[in-house]
Amino acid sequence: MALIKQTKTEPTAIDVRSIVRDFPQLQAQLHSADASQRRWAARELLEHRNSASALVDRLPVESEPSVREAIFTTLARLGDATAVQGLVECLGSDDASLRNEAIEALKTMPSEVAPVMQGLLHHADADVRILAINVLESLRHPRVEQWLIEVIESDPAVNVCGCALDLLTEVGTRHSRAPLQRLKARFASEPYIQFAAMLALKRIDPA
Amino acid sequence: MTQAAITPEEYLKFTEFFYRKTGIRFEESKRYFVDKRLYERIKESGRESFREYFSFMRFEASGNELQSLINVMTINETYFFREEYQFDCLVKSILPEVSAKKARGEPIRIWVLPSSSGEEAYGIAMCLLERWPGITEHDVEIISSDIDTRILDMARAGLYSQRSVQKVPGAYLAKYFKATTRGYQMVDSLRGAVEFTRVNLLDAADVRAYRDFDVIFCRNLLIYFDDLSRKQAALTFYEALRPGGFFLLGHSESMSRISALFQFRKFPDAMVYQRLEGGLA
Amino acid sequence: MKCILIVDDAATVRMFHRAILEGAGYVVQEAVNGLEGLEKALSTSYGLFLVDVNMPKMDGYSFLEALRRRPEIAQAPAIMISTEAEMTDRSKAYAAGANFYLTKPVRPADLLLHVGIMLDGPIA
Repeated sequence: MALIKQTKTEPTAIDVRSIVRDFPQLQAQLHSADASQRRWAARELLEHRNSASALVDRLPVESEPSVREAIFTTLARLGDATAVQGLVECLGSDDASLRNEAIEALKTMPSEVAPVMQGLLHHADADVRILAINVLESLRHPRVEQWLIEVIESDPAVNVCGCALDLLTEVGTRHSRAPLQRLKARFASEPYIQFAAMLALKRIDPA
Repeated sequence: MTQAAITPEEYLKFTEFFYRKTGIRFEESKRYFVDKRLYERIKESGRESFREYFSFMRFEASGNELQSLINVMTINETYFFREEYQFDCLVKSILPEVSAKKARGEPIRIWVLPSSSGEEAYGIAMCLLERWPGITEHDVEIISSDIDTRILDMARAGLYSQRSVQKVPGAYLAKYFKATTRGYQMVDSLRGAVEFTRVNLLDAADVRAYRDFDVIFCRNLLIYFDDLSRKQAALTFYEALRPGGFFLLGHSESMSRISALFQFRKFPDAMVYQRLEGGLA
Repeated sequence: MKCILIVDDAATVRMFHRAILEGAGYVVQEAVNGLEGLEKALSTSYGLFLVDVNMPKMDGYSFLEALRRRPEIAQAPAIMISTEAEMTDRSKAYAAGANFYLTKPVRPADLLLHVGIMLDGPIA
């Protein structure tokens, strides 16, 4: 027994699963009883431009983590309007890991997410607004600071402002200085806001 | 033009950001190391100050500057027996567990990425031959892959510099290398023991055939990928591993910024990841 | 001196809690999400975990559940800290393995009171 080398240059035998590639078959396979089949289908569906809807529909009922991960990754790569919409809907889910994985996926799609960001930042549900700010973190968009300033100027929910503050600590410029002072005044009795606003002001370049 | 010094607040801002992105934390003691490289990047990118540079890097759509930044902040050199404690873990903990579950005649399969010039894969081969008693009872297949065909050619050729072999134990150097005027030439028997292949990890067609591995080493590669690519790579490795298979990252890397797919396991010599069915950590 | 692990994806929140706890003499470490928290928990002995709910890669509930599945660290107390104040979320937290639940934003006095109780026992 020893170190051996396969004589053929490509390792392993024929992969039966890779033969199944047509769209209806893959869609059906997304509901297979076998998790590895479902995971395979979720990955292969990337080859089909209109598969976002089938993937989005599968999410709420998919319990196997590796399959969910494959679905989210494919949706992020597809990046079309259906994918974005489906991921945005996940933000309202009761399932914490579904929400958070959706944010993860949205964070990798900054240009597709930018158009819906304004709406999300004004969503009626404060929790969704918080999640929207989490997505903002990865958005390389010229309006990011301005959106954060709007939040701290007018959002009534203390935790939404707190979340915006955390990001402003990293991206804030002199434009944020006065809004930060106003926020401190608005939540004068809230120790976390005082702490975080002072930190953000310290981090903003004094020039 | 003198560079404006990086202020303590700027240092904190940078290190906090870098920690969030990579998991690598630079303490105050690393000031010199970090500052030097930041100045380098500030100058290279044509910016005038840290503030300007940070803003540019932070919001650059391509993410290229962030990648360059990560490159300079992490130490990239390759040599034999780098992070040797992981090889100890392989031999003392991982392989005993893997081989116990093997059917008679079933080979143990190890995938090593990136192959770079081959030091890691050949190093593993030497460890197996010299330090793992089980090598006499089990076949082991080592496959090492890279995207760069030139470096694969170098790996196959097996010619190394003094710098590359400085950590090779004397006895191994004598047994597995021949000193020549051009450097240390790896002996044919060991060169023949590793299969080098070209693979683009992010190309689904390329990686489809990579399956049923018992151990995957992917050290100091994922840190250079963007977030989505890292997740894709993690899924690829999950698929490539047999259930129960093991996955190792580099010393300062962690799956914590990538994916929860793998179970974290602490062995006496190293922390490793394992593919378990059900995916529960 | 027992070490407290703060598990929260927001750097500012970690700093805030760290400032409060270090001010009271505690030793503090940080993790940015449940996965890093779990890795640290398996490498270092902690006296207490402060756990946020919404975090990338592994949320707070999943972290607590994973913690409780590992015999070597299952007994360590954990306080869940969340923006959500509904009863259902509290029950979820306790079901996942939290010993106590605090609502964000946390008041320094509340944090110190409950950390003290978890680490040093009830006040006489």
